[in-house]
Amino acid sequence: MKKSYSSPRRGLDRRTVLKGAAAAAAVGTGITGFPAYLKAANTPIKIGVPTILSGRVAILGESSVSAINNEIRKINEAGGIEGRTLEAVFRDSRGKPDEAARMTRDLVNNEGCEIILDAEASGASFAVNEVVRDMQQFCIHTNSETSSLTADPKNQVDWVFRSCRQGIHDAVGGGLVAAKVVKEKGLKKWATISPDYAYGRANTEEFMEYVKLFAPETEVITETWPKLFQPDYTENVTALLNAQPEVLYSCLWGGDLVAFFDQASLYGLFDQFTAFAVNLGDYPVLTAIKSRPAGVYSGSRYHKDIPDTPENEAWYESYMANSDVLPTNWAWQNAAAVNFVAEALKKTGGDADTMKMAEATAGLTIDSPFGVDGTLTIREEDHTLVNYMVGYSKTIVDEPYVVGFDQTAWSEIYKHEADWKKRNGYA
Amino acid sequence: MIDFDALAACLSTSACLVNQATSGLIIGMLLFLVASGVTLIFGVLHVINFAHGSFYMIGAYFAYTTYVLTGNYFLAALVGAVGAGICGILFERLIISRVYGQNLLMQLLVCYAFILIVDDLVKIIWGAEYLAMGIPAEFRLPPLRFAGGFVPPFYLFLVGIAVFIGVGSVLLVTKTRFGKIVRAAALNAPMVSALGIRVNVYFALLFGFGCALAGVAGALAAPVRSLTPGMGLGILVESFIVTVIGGMGSIPGAFLAAIILGLTRSIGSVGFPLFVDGAMFMIMALVLIFRPTGLLGQGAVR
Amino acid sequence: MNLIVQFRRDLLIAAAALVVLVAIGLGIEHAWPRDFLTAIFAAGLLAMSLNMLIGYTGLVSFGHAAFFALGGYIFGLLLQSQAFTGAMGAASVPLALVAAVVGTGLYAVVIGAICVRLTEIYFAFLTLAFQMFLYSVILSWVDLTGGDQGLMGGIPRPEFLGIDLGDQYHRYVFCAVLFVVCVMIMRIMTESPFGYTLRMIRDNATRAAFLGVNVTRVKLICFVVSSSIAAVGGVILALFTSGAYPEWAFWAQSGEAIFMIMLGGLNVFLGPILGAVALRILNDVVQMYTSHTEIVIGLVIMFVVLGLRRGILDFVKDWWVEKQQARLAAENRNGREG
Repeated sequence: MKKSYSSPRRGLDRRTVLKGAAAAAAVGTGITGFPAYLKAANTPIKIGVPTILSGRVAILGESSVSAINNEIRKINEAGGIEGRTLEAVFRDSRGKPDEAARMTRDLVNNEGCEIILDAEASGASFAVNEVVRDMQQFCIHTNSETSSLTADPKNQVDWVFRSCRQGIHDAVGGGLVAAKVVKEKGLKKWATISPDYAYGRANTEEFMEYVKLFAPETEVITETWPKLFQPDYTENVTALLNAQPEVLYSCLWGGDLVAFFDQASLYGLFDQFTAFAVNLGDYPVLTAIKSRPAGVYSGSRYHKDIPDTPENEAWYESYMANSDVLPTNWAWQNAAAVNFVAEALKKTGGDADTMKMAEATAGLTIDSPFGVDGTLTIREEDHTLVNYMVGYSKTIVDEPYVVGFDQTAWSEIYKHEADWKKRNGYA
Repeated sequence: MIDFDALAACLSTSACLVNQATSGLIIGMLLFLVASGVTLIFGVLHVINFAHGSFYMIGAYFAYTTYVLTGNYFLAALVGAVGAGICGILFERLIISRVYGQNLLMQLLVCYAFILIVDDLVKIIWGAEYLAMGIPAEFRLPPLRFAGGFVPPFYLFLVGIAVFIGVGSVLLVTKTRFGKIVRAAALNAPMVSALGIRVNVYFALLFGFGCALAGVAGALAAPVRSLTPGMGLGILVESFIVTVIGGMGSIPGAFLAAIILGLTRSIGSVGFPLFVDGAMFMIMALVLIFRPTGLLGQGAVR
Repeated sequence: MNLIVQFRRDLLIAAAALVVLVAIGLGIEHAWPRDFLTAIFAAGLLAMSLNMLIGYTGLVSFGHAAFFALGGYIFGLLLQSQAFTGAMGAASVPLALVAAVVGTGLYAVVIGAICVRLTEIYFAFLTLAFQMFLYSVILSWVDLTGGDQGLMGGIPRPEFLGIDLGDQYHRYVFCAVLFVVCVMIMRIMTESPFGYTLRMIRDNATRAAFLGVNVTRVKLICFVVSSSIAAVGGVILALFTSGAYPEWAFWAQSGEAIFMIMLGGLNVFLGPILGAVALRILNDVVQMYTSHTEIVIGLVIMFVVLGLRRGILDFVKDWWVEKQQARLAAENRNGREG
């Protein structure tokens, strides 16, 4: 059928055309602005950051932006590095790997970025890894926790580093705490609910592997795998109820975890089983969940009391004063990355050359509010971050939301990580 | 790929059966509310509202804010529905009515543009954080036990409202004066308008009503699903599957298809957890191949 | 005879365009033009091949990116397989390319045979369903496809005929040649009698059927050819990103291609390319100034659809035609008066 009565407005009057032309001209001038070949001394050192600023995980990207900008502000206010200031350029890849790859190239080629902080989630970080390998561009991955990104020699690149958690480290820590808890309570039957994608599967497998290692009588009786960003978990919750496990593990994160907790509470799930949720400890998650259950074990993400030091408290205050969003796990990881970059630049005398930066960063140890004993290290052999806070806390209903941090000793983690690498043929 | 043992074990225990059947119904009913709006608008106005998910999001956010301000969930649900409805009327008058009768792509594009704009506006107004309303005090009750299965009282309310609204909207279109005018206008607008009836007003109202249905769904989902910008996209795709399977334009068809889809999801999560999405698209493809008009749709398509 | 003359002109234009593209790529040391154009080659082939369906045949497909993704995956998976590269040696890359095109074409025969019988909206939804089905398969078949992480560890590109696709100049020229060849194939198809049959089907399928055209077969041929060309786009993007990702098979990728067509203009042959360029520049420029890219792009789309009511080149073409007609009319009037 045709609806001709609502007459379409024919064509355009001249004014609209002129306005359009003016807009086109404005865009044109914008384009002639690039490609910008800037590479002089005393110009700012540009740090390119592809990340996710729209869609369901925008909060994580925004907290990364806030953290990076805040660290850069502090460094520049203190006089910069060898007289040069730092400047960050952000791009929204919407989490799409090919967009992340293209934007990384653009950041280097057009914006003249000399350093890349890859603030992408797992999927896109592998794409960025290939780009910086190809371009021989110094890069630090700041958010991808997938162990194989740096552990698998296939993915290792001489000038690429990682300044964030790694699944295997959390798995060892989680396994140790969980084994202790289940042994005390005499629990054996586990169920898992994790998002159905690479991170979710690898993380859950690693966690259960270590629970089984430390508590051999453990048995996984059911696994349920909701899709990433699935809005409704009712069918998964009832699947868990049907199986009647004693303990539950989940690596759901962000809004998905919030929805799962609220929906599971309707069924009284957390009154029935002991639960471990590695990603529960992020502030935006904890504050968003309305029926916040007490007594759930939560992996350490970022918390102002973990570690409970004046430096960490000060970092939290400074971040909050300069950010619209709450700090997340991504926030501290990106802040740490900026600190590593600044420290490496000091060692190279402000030269951002890829090879010099790579040499300066390998094995670098910095003072940091996020480290055990106040230091963080990027390990020389596999270019990944160590000595950060690993462990589990227990939730309470009100602030500070989590208490009783059970910290895992890094000596334990190193031991089991080495075995894990051997098992997987990585070392 | 299919775990028959788990499936058989579940289908033979009453607890599992009750749990999965009710969870299928719950998922299905929210889908039905959104899809019934899509199908209603298509059935009468012959435009496909690709932006329908945005009204679901608008309903959820409006309900959230109202609940935070007043603490009254029923008022919040009402505001969510009416707010989405008003936004729908504005959208129809200002944007969609300009592409009536134009090709499908024009409709698709304006809707896509609208989705982008609304998602960004929501991010500007409410922030990018996940928000959660939480279960209203009235419904903070332990789950009911039924043949060994669990049924939360809030979900009973949700399913009841959805069925009530579904029946109501069928009656609205088939039995009331409003419905008759709208349907007549859809068939022959100049004729109806010659009778002194302002058809544009009726079209806008119908469009708004369809969007209000999505708004109700959003308000009903708000207590249990997390609110984020872009939350409308997931349900949009699923509601299109429902609309197509049920038959474009058929509300009873949407109801049937929503239940089929809900059960596919809930049974699938036990029997073939890795292929739930694939199964949904497979059903859609099969229906389109063998009965393009959908299960309960009418009319020639070839 | 007229046709040959016309294609000779098109061939000359294509050759000139290739020379210009190669000159830009090799003449400028800076990598940006190469990166930008390579991305445009990939997106442009996706959009132009889709426009063979939408603009020329009137088949609105919501699932065209499936073939784009399939091309990229077949190409990447073959080259990642050591058995394949070991057996084929230097011929690996050309053979993988052929396999990607032919494999995608065969898949398109199956999908197309099912889909082309349906009319507008049902065709659109069925292609969407098949695309999302492929997307689910890519996501679930982790052992083969790497699931959501895509093909990891880079795509090996053994040298052939002295061409080393690991080198960015070689890669660029290779992609440019693929692009121009595909565009030329589409040009010949759409301007040949076959192309006019497509237009006739678009305008009135019943009439075409009465005139003895096997409508279903013609639609299917068009569907398969356009899918194979989309696969070449996927191969280019796979070469460019050294990987393949499930997002390529997501509905949003098809949506973006549709937007490129509508932005550039669906009744002008090169409209989709202009759309691809415009969208990319719009996206990049907006990103430099604001993080609210969505709202700006949304407003631009609204302007194009509600303001111009057609793509940019369509608008220019209509404007030009109207102006010519107005002039002719004025001349006629003057002639009569004088």
